[in-house]
Amino acid sequence: MFNSEFKNFNEILDMSGHGIYVWSVYLVGISIIAISFLIAKKRIKTVQRKIKLNNASS
Amino acid sequence: MLMLGWIWGLLFAPQDAVQGNSYRIIFFHVPSVIFAELIYFFMAVCALMHIVWRVKLAAYLIKSAAPIGAMITFIGLFSGSIWGIPTWGTWWQWDARITSTLILFIMYLGVLTLHGSFSNLEKADRLMSILVIIGVVNIPIIKKSVDWWSTLHQPASISVSGSSSIDPSMLYPLLISIIGLGFMLISLGILSSRSYILSREKNKKWVSDYV
Repeated sequence: MFNSEFKNFNEILDMSGHGIYVWSVYLVGISIIAISFLIAKKRIKTVQRKIKLNNASS
Repeated sequence: MLMLGWIWGLLFAPQDAVQGNSYRIIFFHVPSVIFAELIYFFMAVCALMHIVWRVKLAAYLIKSAAPIGAMITFIGLFSGSIWGIPTWGTWWQWDARITSTLILFIMYLGVLTLHGSFSNLEKADRLMSILVIIGVVNIPIIKKSVDWWSTLHQPASISVSGSSSIDPSMLYPLLISIIGLGFMLISLGILSSRSYILSREKNKKWVSDYV
């Protein structure tokens, strides 16, 4: 079960000709999730900054 | 945990006898579509709570979960389309499973658009909840579409109640990927709901004290 199906890095990339499909899915999917995390973190900082400005002005 | 599932599935799980290595997309595709449906179901429960008991937080959670649901549904559709190229010879087919999942994606966008089109946020919350409840009828249709209609999409390979038709050497990394993606989406949901609750409640004293 824990023997790798591939002998070297090129075989991992190629995946018997299916590498372009497999890796494009993981690349696009991981990028979308990573961007979502960055947007969510940025939103929290923006909201907190606005609230602090409101607090300071009132 | 998600990385463990993916590394196991991508590098150590055996090659599929029919689909070759292209089946390794399953470790991203199946968890994505499972959570695409689960997030909508969660939104429907929240919508019911908002309409019946007027729970404000429930509406906030719907609004925070909808973009995440749209994102993961898009990933599910995208990964399925790419997987379709080497296995079906086409990236898109208007069959029951794929079309009902596309409707789910449109429902997520509809929920977000509807909420964004009202300046009165309480009214927006109420109408959004009604739309979510109407749209939940699509979830059993997605689930049962492969049984009710003759579709190009294969029937479910894993089952909670019965036995799975997938070999354990592929099933275990798949289950780990599902659990891992679940944790990742929960943490994204917490971040998203935190910023939305703060922005909606920004004039309340507890928010000033908290920030």
